[in-house]
Amino acid sequence: MKKLFASFLALTTAVSLTACGGGDSQTAQSGDDGQGETLNLILRAGTYADVIKECLPAFEEEHNVKCEVQELSESDLYSGIALDAINADGSYDLCMVDGSWMAEFTENGVLANLSELGYSLDDDIIPATTSICYVDDDVYLAPYYGNVTVMMFNKANVEAAGYDASSIESLDDILEICQKAQADGKKGFIYRGDGQNNLVVDFLPILLSYGGWVVDENNQPTVNTEEFKNAMNYYLELIATGEAQVKDDLIASIDTGAGTMGVGWPGWYTPTADSTADYIALKGTATDSSEAYNANVYGIWTIGIPANSQNKELATELLTYLMDPAVQKSTVASGGVPCRYSSLQDPEILKTYPQYEVVCQALESGVYRPVIAEWTQFYTTLGTEMDNIINGVKTVDQGLADAQSQLEELMAG
Amino acid sequence: MRRNKQLSNADVQTRRFGLSMISPTIVVLLIMTAYPLLFTLFYSFTDYNLLRNLRQPAEFIALKNYTDLLTDPYFQQSIWNTVKFTILAVIFEMLIGFAVALFVNSLRRGQKAMRTLLLLPYLLPTVTVALSWRMMLSPNYGIVNQVLQTLGLPVFNWFSDIKTAFGMLVLIDVWQSAPFVFLLLYAALQSVPQSQYEAARIDGASRIKILFYVTIPNIKNSLALCALLRTIDSFRLFDKVNLLTGGGPANSTSTITQYLYNYGISSLDFGFGSAGAIVMTILVLILSSVYIKRAIQ
Repeated sequence: MKKLFASFLALTTAVSLTACGGGDSQTAQSGDDGQGETLNLILRAGTYADVIKECLPAFEEEHNVKCEVQELSESDLYSGIALDAINADGSYDLCMVDGSWMAEFTENGVLANLSELGYSLDDDIIPATTSICYVDDDVYLAPYYGNVTVMMFNKANVEAAGYDASSIESLDDILEICQKAQADGKKGFIYRGDGQNNLVVDFLPILLSYGGWVVDENNQPTVNTEEFKNAMNYYLELIATGEAQVKDDLIASIDTGAGTMGVGWPGWYTPTADSTADYIALKGTATDSSEAYNANVYGIWTIGIPANSQNKELATELLTYLMDPAVQKSTVASGGVPCRYSSLQDPEILKTYPQYEVVCQALESGVYRPVIAEWTQFYTTLGTEMDNIINGVKTVDQGLADAQSQLEELMAG
Repeated sequence: MRRNKQLSNADVQTRRFGLSMISPTIVVLLIMTAYPLLFTLFYSFTDYNLLRNLRQPAEFIALKNYTDLLTDPYFQQSIWNTVKFTILAVIFEMLIGFAVALFVNSLRRGQKAMRTLLLLPYLLPTVTVALSWRMMLSPNYGIVNQVLQTLGLPVFNWFSDIKTAFGMLVLIDVWQSAPFVFLLLYAALQSVPQSQYEAARIDGASRIKILFYVTIPNIKNSLALCALLRTIDSFRLFDKVNLLTGGGPANSTSTITQYLYNYGISSLDFGFGSAGAIVMTILVLILSSVYIKRAIQ
């Protein structure tokens, strides 16, 4: 009996092991429900992935293909793509890429050359949004979701301060509105204090309005400058009218009127005529009399194909399909923000979604975060020092001097 | 003489049989524990970056990662935060868990129901716990601030205020992990011989004396094990910090693991991250050395 039982166990183990190890990469690519191949997409979770998912059934039907979508947070998406890049046979066929990862990814051969795969960007795409998509005239990414920083505000609070969307001209106006709201017992400016990336990104539009930037034309750090200090001092005054909150709380605060203003992204909130909140593109002026700069920072989600994709041709067809003007326009109703004139300047769309006019202006004059391979370490260092300054652990001078020296060391390699 | 030799052969055979029996376990342990540790140790002496490694192999940089790490004031701060957190969390968890275990053990009825209810926080996934507390402590719609406001008490931005963020993390960890201590000590209390209590009572010992001279000596091994497990677990704190504060405000909640995540893992600098992991392993070993020494003896 024991021998019989032992033989049965041995047989079961052998069968299990054979079953586990029996698959090969080709079968893994095949659909298991009678469909053809499978394409694996790795995307940023939220509206960004939702609008792509709703376009997929038509493509799947037309190409007899199955699309598997993995939705991840920003940091998980970055590490997900990077970890898969070291494999000879990649798991993903189409990936969503933040503009700030571009340098690191292309420098290390993570992305496929789309030009070689026969894809090119058309003239309908807002030109400024394509600036990071090329390496030596070859396309590596396509700008898919037009995320660009906007200033979210609560309409009632702004009106109570004597302003409306069209009369907010400068950062001084924003400060005045927030201070009045604070005097009325509400919170003024809400910012994201969780994580170095959020701290830096929310501050960048302010810095740009003061004529500053984090690196110079040679990508050397410029955080200990007069412009940066002025912007930082202004920011400290501004955030003193409100408080740090996480993204969801920030949106809820401004929507309910508990908070008044905050830097946000179009993907977070879809204002309508009846909504309590709205957003504007920053004019890029610190004071009413100062020079206007491009102050809208891109957070554009681009799409590309990993260099180790096993289905590059089909993935290129999918990318071409997703970038199609008509397909992109169809996503607007679900919160899509194409980087295309045909969508953002369409009279029918503007009738229903007037905020796209603002988004289009912001996209036309936006600025990408520095295209440097060290950007992750860069914002971690800068964000840490900004956090120290904001919480009073260091003075502005001390914090920025420390950040400058650390960043110089980082960029020196 | 010959008989002695036969006995000695039998001993050798027994020893060989014993070794062959434990060898699969040793092999598994070597693969699962020693190999990753050696791998991490090896990479800690290199400048290995996951993406950069695709075009140029990692270079040996000797102790640079360690010197960078140990001279970084933010790493030093994260060590201090971790030690502070571990001490506070373990003390509160042990005290609360032990008190609750004593209370439940003294109940004549409803022990099972209490045991189940008290265990619930420990059964919840950490992500759920973190998000639930974030909602409860939200400055907008959180129930805690609403109650405080109704009572006319000051409200706080709990996770963004440098004065409250660290305390909140300790509170949440104690809330979730004290039930673990309770469970372990409750089981230990069940095994204390009742005759010792009866004898103590007959001798006229007070409750405090019974606690210190009967209960605690009987469960001291469980107390030590509990403290060790909680110390190791608290020292590795990551998920709650990452989800609730990200190490901020101003690094006031940055633990060693959060530091390694920010500066090593998220930027894919695995060489630097490996050095941090080795330093952390050494610190945990030092912390738990007392118990390990005892276990070996």
